[in-house]
Amino acid sequence: MLRRALPLGLGTGLLGRGLGTHREGSTLDWHGKVSEIKKKIQSILPGGAWSPLYDTSHLPPEHSDVVIVGGGVLGLSVAYWLKRLEKQQGAIRVLVVERDHTYSQASTALSVGGMRQQFSLPENIQLSLFSVEFLRNINEYLAVVDDPPLDLQFNPSGYLFLASEEGATIMENNVKVQRQEGAKVCLMSPEQLQKKFPWINTEGVALASYGLENEGWFDPWCLLQGLRRKVQSMGVLFCHGEVTRFISSSNHMETASGEKVTLKRIHEVHVKVDRSQEYQPVECAIVVNAAGAWSGRVAELAGIGKGPSGTLQGTKLPVEPRKRYVYLWHCPQGPGLEAPLVADPSGAYFRREGLGNNYLGGCSPAELCPQEEEPDPGNLEVDHDFFQEKVWPPLARRVPAFETLKVRSAWAGYYDYNTFDQNGVVGPHPLVVNMYFATGFSGHGLQQAPAVGRAVAEVMLEGRFQTINLSPFLFSRFYLGEKTQEHCII
Amino acid sequence: MLKFIIPTIMLMPLTWLSKSNHIWINSTAYSLLISFTSLLLLNQFNDNSLNYSLTFFSDSLSTPLLMLTMWLLPLMLMASQSHLLKETLIRKKLYITMLIMLQTLLIMTFTATELILFYITFEATLVPTLIIITRWGNQTERLNAGLYFLFYTLTGSLPLLVALTYLQNTMGTLNFLLLQHWTQPLSPSWSNTLMWLACMMAFLVKMPLYGLHLWLPKAHVEAPIAGSMVLAAVLLKLGGYGMLRITPLLNPLTEHMAYPFLMLSLWGMIMTSSICLRQTDLKSLIAYSSISHMALVIVAILIQTPWSYMGATALMIAHGLTSSMLFCLANSNDERTHSRTMILARGLQIFLPLMATWWLLASLTNLALPPTINLIGELLVVMSTFSWSNPTIILMGTNIVITALYSLYMLIMTQRGKHTHHINNLTPSFTREHALMALHILPLLLLSLNPKIILGPLY
Repeated sequence: MLRRALPLGLGTGLLGRGLGTHREGSTLDWHGKVSEIKKKIQSILPGGAWSPLYDTSHLPPEHSDVVIVGGGVLGLSVAYWLKRLEKQQGAIRVLVVERDHTYSQASTALSVGGMRQQFSLPENIQLSLFSVEFLRNINEYLAVVDDPPLDLQFNPSGYLFLASEEGATIMENNVKVQRQEGAKVCLMSPEQLQKKFPWINTEGVALASYGLENEGWFDPWCLLQGLRRKVQSMGVLFCHGEVTRFISSSNHMETASGEKVTLKRIHEVHVKVDRSQEYQPVECAIVVNAAGAWSGRVAELAGIGKGPSGTLQGTKLPVEPRKRYVYLWHCPQGPGLEAPLVADPSGAYFRREGLGNNYLGGCSPAELCPQEEEPDPGNLEVDHDFFQEKVWPPLARRVPAFETLKVRSAWAGYYDYNTFDQNGVVGPHPLVVNMYFATGFSGHGLQQAPAVGRAVAEVMLEGRFQTINLSPFLFSRFYLGEKTQEHCII
Repeated sequence: MLKFIIPTIMLMPLTWLSKSNHIWINSTAYSLLISFTSLLLLNQFNDNSLNYSLTFFSDSLSTPLLMLTMWLLPLMLMASQSHLLKETLIRKKLYITMLIMLQTLLIMTFTATELILFYITFEATLVPTLIIITRWGNQTERLNAGLYFLFYTLTGSLPLLVALTYLQNTMGTLNFLLLQHWTQPLSPSWSNTLMWLACMMAFLVKMPLYGLHLWLPKAHVEAPIAGSMVLAAVLLKLGGYGMLRITPLLNPLTEHMAYPFLMLSLWGMIMTSSICLRQTDLKSLIAYSSISHMALVIVAILIQTPWSYMGATALMIAHGLTSSMLFCLANSNDERTHSRTMILARGLQIFLPLMATWWLLASLTNLALPPTINLIGELLVVMSTFSWSNPTIILMGTNIVITALYSLYMLIMTQRGKHTHHINNLTPSFTREHALMALHILPLLLLSLNPKIILGPLY
């Protein structure tokens, strides 16, 4: 009975796999052997988690209070703020499940890294304002003992939005809102624009708004690594795996007006290990969906959207991956070091990269082309014809020096595109009561990540938004049809 | 005494031969009936004990503990139904068998006349408890917890075996009825000091004493609900019971040998109460509160005055019921939110108002509200320690205040405050859970009407 009693129920691994991979080679690896024996003794002594049958150190723990699906900048930000806002250290156990630790397809790593406050929604502006304050003081927020300070390479060169005749009134209203929230933006006429940036061709520009402070671009990889390092030092567990299933239980309940609803609660997450059939059921109290471009798929796993369309059960999470190209070119006569990130009314944009007359740029096809011409999000292949046809002509018109340039390289990344209103989804789902969203920011997730992480952590711990009120970004707007859309030129 | 032991052993064939949808109802109903028979023991008609045979007896110390043990088995079975739903039939029956085996051994421990029989069954209770913790516990840390539990208690009690065999050789008998009349004092030599230590350490580790308490938070937190209940309610009292039985033999050494343990307990009760204020895990908080209450019992037993003995026995029974009820409440929380962290399940009073009543009653008894028996026990202990040494009233007073603080902290954290969105669809409380809480609190409240039955042999 004792023999049967001990190892059962420790997670479904492959029985008889043996204790790790032992080489049967002939080389006497004393050092390796001794350290292995030491490790085994350490794990047997009280204090270590030892499984008598096989090694389970690569599997996530069997129980975690919060499981965050997705280890990009949004997921790590939520983990950071959860650990920071918990009342006592070590109160909540957080597990971050990330499918790809090289972040080869993650939106964070492939992002252009822009930071702006020039939005039209006050919530977006507040999010960016807090995030830039976070980034400016990043070495106070993300300090880890004995580790070097972070260098985000924040270039505070600002954003320059150009508006044609039609968009000029919208731009003025937007700038008014931005100034109310505390962003420092200045409006420029074409003459002022020509004087300030002589390399610009102001044909067709009626008005320009230029961010004077707290705007620019930074290195997203550095932020990601800084968050990862800090979050690991705060005790968050990382797991290399993919979420394949949610086990949930439903309750049929009635609302106050007598309507019948079915509320669901996820109580187990199946995390599948990479390149293996092995999976670990993780018992959890809360699941955070921060899976970026794949959030829609994760939401479908939880049963969101399975129901007759038009009802709350049938409302899917409208986040899907959209591919965007970024091109890097060299132009020796190009704009100098003061060049901001210029956004043309046609949708093309560019920014300076480094000090050697290199520039990054691209184009958001949403403005130019209808839905059918969206690039296929199945892979991250770059279409160079897109540059020739859609990006180069408007940029060359806007900056005459760009008529002669040489493309150095290009890459593609995903937007976690919210097809409903291109703004983020934050907060709990009304029917799956313990799934919280932090996704769908459609291209401006990186710059708002610190603030969004704090907002989601507040909802999870306190039950409501405390610092920035993100109720326009709740999931229920998809069902009620209330779009919180940006009235922006881009 | 066989009238309890044989029916309890026969509960095992009852479980194995029942139909699959009757195992719970059969075992719960019959164990409840068996627990009612323990009331017969209350009829203690003289100062001597009720002697049933040369092997078993019961006096007014072991009677309340025996009643507590037998009352707890149906409660444990009721509490375990939910988390065993997904197991196969054989495993459910195995679990119930473990509980029944544990119950049999506990009955034999509390009624053993011969101290060697007491020791054997005392040690044997470790085995089913270890199996319950390591096999049916929740998380990977349960292996660690089982190891700590096993080795702490085993290491503490092996010297006891040596001491008992030595005592058998010198005194010729270890029959408790004869040992009661032992009058020869122990001479204060080194070997007698070591024998004192050997006798007492087993029980001090079990209580647990503050410096040796590391196994308790682990074991209580990682055990499944029935394991936590029986650990908190009964297994800890084994230590107290053992100490109360063996101290008559160890006069007058106890007067000066007890000092280090008294200091450890007095200091430890404040330390563990303060740790409770900083706990985020609900079960861990209740486990540390157990250590704090048991420290009071250790102090009471070591100062050896009539009032303190009465307070110790009253406190043991009261704490058994209260602690078990708190663990059941924490488990009902855990089953709904799948998390033991207090901060994630707040504002429950809105969702489960009747359960909030049980939470309130349990917290109030935990902080020794008058006129519950918790207060009677604590008050007797405080008064006797005051008369033993005046300054201890400061420590005792501080402990009472901190106990109140953390009990109310636990109540307010879980019941009051703004609820979070992810507890919107809590399953309403089952009747089984309400019955469980009622069956815990009812004896507690009824005993405050007639506490003399739990005040032990010196009343």
